[in-house]
Amino acid sequence: MKDGFRQAMAWLHTWAGLIFGWLLFAIFLTGTLSYFKEEISHWSQPEVRSHALDPAHSLALAQRYLEANAGHSGTWFIRLPNAREAGLNVGYRDPNGGPRGSVSKNLDTQTGQPVEARDSRGGEFFYRFHFQLQMPYPYGRWLSTFCAFIMLLGLVTGIITHKKLFKEFFTFRPGKGQRSWLDGHNAIGVLVLPFHLMISYSSLVLFMYMVMPAGIMASYGNDTGKYFNDLFGRNDAPKAAQVATPLVALPSLYAKVQALQPEARIGNIQVQNPGDRNARVTFTQSAADHVAYRRSANWTFDGASGTLLSQGKPESGAMMTSFSFAGLHMGNFAGPWLRWLYFCFGIAGTAVIGTGLVMWLGKRQLKHAQRAHMPGELRLVEVLNIASMSGLLLAVAGFFWANRLIPAAAAGRADWEVNVFFIVWGLSLAHAVLRSGRRAWGEQLALGALAFALLPLLNGLTTDRGLNHSLAAGDWAMAGLDLTALGTGLFLAWLAGKMLSSPAPLAKRAARAADKPRAEAAQAR
Amino acid sequence: MLGNALLAYAGFVALCLAMDKHFTGLLGRKPHPGHLRLLRVAGWSLLVLSLAFSVHLRGWAHGLVEWAAVMMAAVTVWVFALPYQPRLLLGLAAGSVLLGPVLAVLAV
Repeated sequence: MKDGFRQAMAWLHTWAGLIFGWLLFAIFLTGTLSYFKEEISHWSQPEVRSHALDPAHSLALAQRYLEANAGHSGTWFIRLPNAREAGLNVGYRDPNGGPRGSVSKNLDTQTGQPVEARDSRGGEFFYRFHFQLQMPYPYGRWLSTFCAFIMLLGLVTGIITHKKLFKEFFTFRPGKGQRSWLDGHNAIGVLVLPFHLMISYSSLVLFMYMVMPAGIMASYGNDTGKYFNDLFGRNDAPKAAQVATPLVALPSLYAKVQALQPEARIGNIQVQNPGDRNARVTFTQSAADHVAYRRSANWTFDGASGTLLSQGKPESGAMMTSFSFAGLHMGNFAGPWLRWLYFCFGIAGTAVIGTGLVMWLGKRQLKHAQRAHMPGELRLVEVLNIASMSGLLLAVAGFFWANRLIPAAAAGRADWEVNVFFIVWGLSLAHAVLRSGRRAWGEQLALGALAFALLPLLNGLTTDRGLNHSLAAGDWAMAGLDLTALGTGLFLAWLAGKMLSSPAPLAKRAARAADKPRAEAAQAR
Repeated sequence: MLGNALLAYAGFVALCLAMDKHFTGLLGRKPHPGHLRLLRVAGWSLLVLSLAFSVHLRGWAHGLVEWAAVMMAAVTVWVFALPYQPRLLLGLAAGSVLLGPVLAVLAV
């Protein structure tokens, strides 16, 4: 019975892993990039300059700009600059304000003038992709949530399947073909297991209102907005009184928040009915201040008189649990060192999926090693493996190249960056179909190596923010992306070299494969 | 954070050496059963020490997260680099036992 159960779990692990592995690889890779979302955005908009942080001064600049340009709007949004985001972001609802009905500008924190930065989604693109998959709402979220569930299932079934979890806890034997792949897959899965479990379980917690909505629907019906207001301790602002009353100076409200909660960093400020007697100003504490993602850490003021109306209530145990999982998943609280560890563990998660996909194919290819042609279904898996892994890496590189090569003033350039990403990905699929497996891997990895390794050079040639400048100025977000791209390029070059050099001694592998069924049969007895 | 990381690393190395096959493979001689028990106790103690420093320095919320992170990083480095640089890694472990507590105490 026990072996039967383990075999059933192994079957589930194998097939659920294969079917969802390609998509999971993309979700994990783009999700991992999202740990450096602000840094990628900074790289993508080199025109936005960073200055020393001064929240009160920034608020005054934002208020001056919005009063001059958005007096007619009913809602303003301000996002203060922080250690990772250089720009002061201001936005407002505007009936004629583009597709989403709102306008957003980046202000320079010294001059208070809008920065004419190239239009780019930057890190936001990878971040959105990792849970929306470029699909219309809500289908992308459903699919990625389901993938998170499969990942959790894969982890649990993987642990059950792994017979020698403790005995081989410290074991990695390189240079032994399939054995090494399995060792690597197991070790990277087991050693980073707390992260893997946290990240997949917390994805389900993040979208639990979607996955298990029955409780919310029973209490709130279709008015889910009220549920979130209750959850986060927000009140809807009253309707505008249509009595013009000047808005209090926002820096004075900021000082009040600082008195209530010393050292609190402020993330977002929302102003409703600005310039009206019923104005409301809500300060939300930066997510970087707590491990838990406490969206209820906020203060609401009367914008006409400046009195504090309400502040976020203390969270219940259940809410704190859920906010903690959300916070752990997003890692907003992480400083530079912890952020890099988050990034490495994300890569580890991606590697678990990648090695699993490679092994699925490798194991089955061995059985057909002596035949001239691979069966069609294996060839299909091979093509999808190549396109989903090396192809995705090429697509990411393509996005960055497009960011530097599409003219800054071109119309719709942000959309074109995204288009380039998908076009490159599509071309890599076509290339994988046309070339044989090893050649396709090698050529795509070699191209990826070039594309990533030359990215710092491209950045230096097309902007004045190249490594020579960013390193001297201590602009670590800019230099970090360049250096990471260079490192990625070197790593891909090494991989490509392995793929393009002499193929693995097929005869030996085939002979070993032929021995294997006999050995397995003996073991079973 | 570096002090905690070194402590966690040394702890995992001790736990690894506490396994008969790894002890024999890495040190080239058969272990005494008493040695293995000692290594096991030392390993777990170092991991707990790393946790204690982490929580003391950064509080429960950040401390637990950082501890989990340095634990995973330390053991991953050990396992994947071991086949290539066993001597270097063993030397690093010896250095960590000395340097880890010093750095952790200095950070307090």
